[in-house]
Amino acid sequence: MDGKVVVVTSGKGGVGKTTVTSSLGAALALQGKRVAVVDMDIGLRNLDVIMGLENRIVFNVVDVVQGRCKLKQAMIKDRRINNLYLIPASQSDEKNVIQPENMKWLCNRLKKEFDFTLLDCPAGIEQGFKNSIEAADEAIVVCMPEISSVRDADRVIGLLYSRSITPKLVVNRIIPKMVEKGDMLSHKDVVEVLSIDLIGLVEMDESVVVSSNTGLPIVMQKESKAGRAFMQIAMRMNGHPDLPVEDPMAPKSFWKKLGGKISRKNKVH
Amino acid sequence: MMMFNALLKKLMNRGDDSKNVAKKRLKFALVYDKLEIKEDMLEDLQRDLIEVISRYFEIDRQHMSLDIERSEESSALIMNTPILAARHKKPQPDNARA
Repeated sequence: MDGKVVVVTSGKGGVGKTTVTSSLGAALALQGKRVAVVDMDIGLRNLDVIMGLENRIVFNVVDVVQGRCKLKQAMIKDRRINNLYLIPASQSDEKNVIQPENMKWLCNRLKKEFDFTLLDCPAGIEQGFKNSIEAADEAIVVCMPEISSVRDADRVIGLLYSRSITPKLVVNRIIPKMVEKGDMLSHKDVVEVLSIDLIGLVEMDESVVVSSNTGLPIVMQKESKAGRAFMQIAMRMNGHPDLPVEDPMAPKSFWKKLGGKISRKNKVH
Repeated sequence: MMMFNALLKKLMNRGDDSKNVAKKRLKFALVYDKLEIKEDMLEDLQRDLIEVISRYFEIDRQHMSLDIERSEESSALIMNTPILAARHKKPQPDNARA
């Protein structure tokens, strides 16, 4: 049976598309799936550095669609995680060297070999976005709980609907403390405004910065909250759609809070 | 102390939190964004409307106007056209004319 092509998109830049793509790719592969991730940001590639594979690039996605190399030659195998492959973007070409029909051809080939093909879509809604959604079966929209990000997500969701794709939402970089104070939109607010299904919540987590510094997948760091959230999103994509989304804002009971405070104090002294 | 302040704030000014302001602004922005139309769309609509109305009325095409009016609460498509005369013949459906 053919695999699925999932585009990760957001409209706005800098909300975490590349981190989400690389983390979900790694998570799905760790869960035993065969996964290809494709960097669609022609001219501004970054998925390779986030995944720590930047010094192994020989060929890229433009080389593949223009017939300068075989598909296999452009696929970089991740040596830490079985069954995870990256097809990097080209750094020197213009966005319009790839056309939607090229992507259809490429994704049809990838589908035959991989359970999941994840496309890391560039920011914006121009050529790179059009190429990315052309061959997609499903979509994940990444959004931060912040006004301009939600607005752009809404625009992208509309464009996906017009291509008969019903996207799922990832709310990224939520800060529970600010939500509790009423100074940040909660995931519920975002879901209400965008009215699409939530597939996961990722808290603001410093270990994501550390992981991108080192190029080590965040999902391999057991103590990372974000890493765990990505593993759960991957589970939902991978046959467990009803796995409940944990609410990071769930108020701790008074006694738990007190207990936490006392034990922390004891540690200090 | 912090906890108490947060609780007090919550009790005192519900709905004044900055996130509620954000949500309200966002909802407005999305409604407005969706009302934006391409330049030629109104012209196309006007042409189609003239065609339909002309089956029933003789209208003064030069003095016809078509606009979208927006206010805080709602938006409306306003069309205004002087009627010269009614057509008394029963209009023929398009496919019967050929």
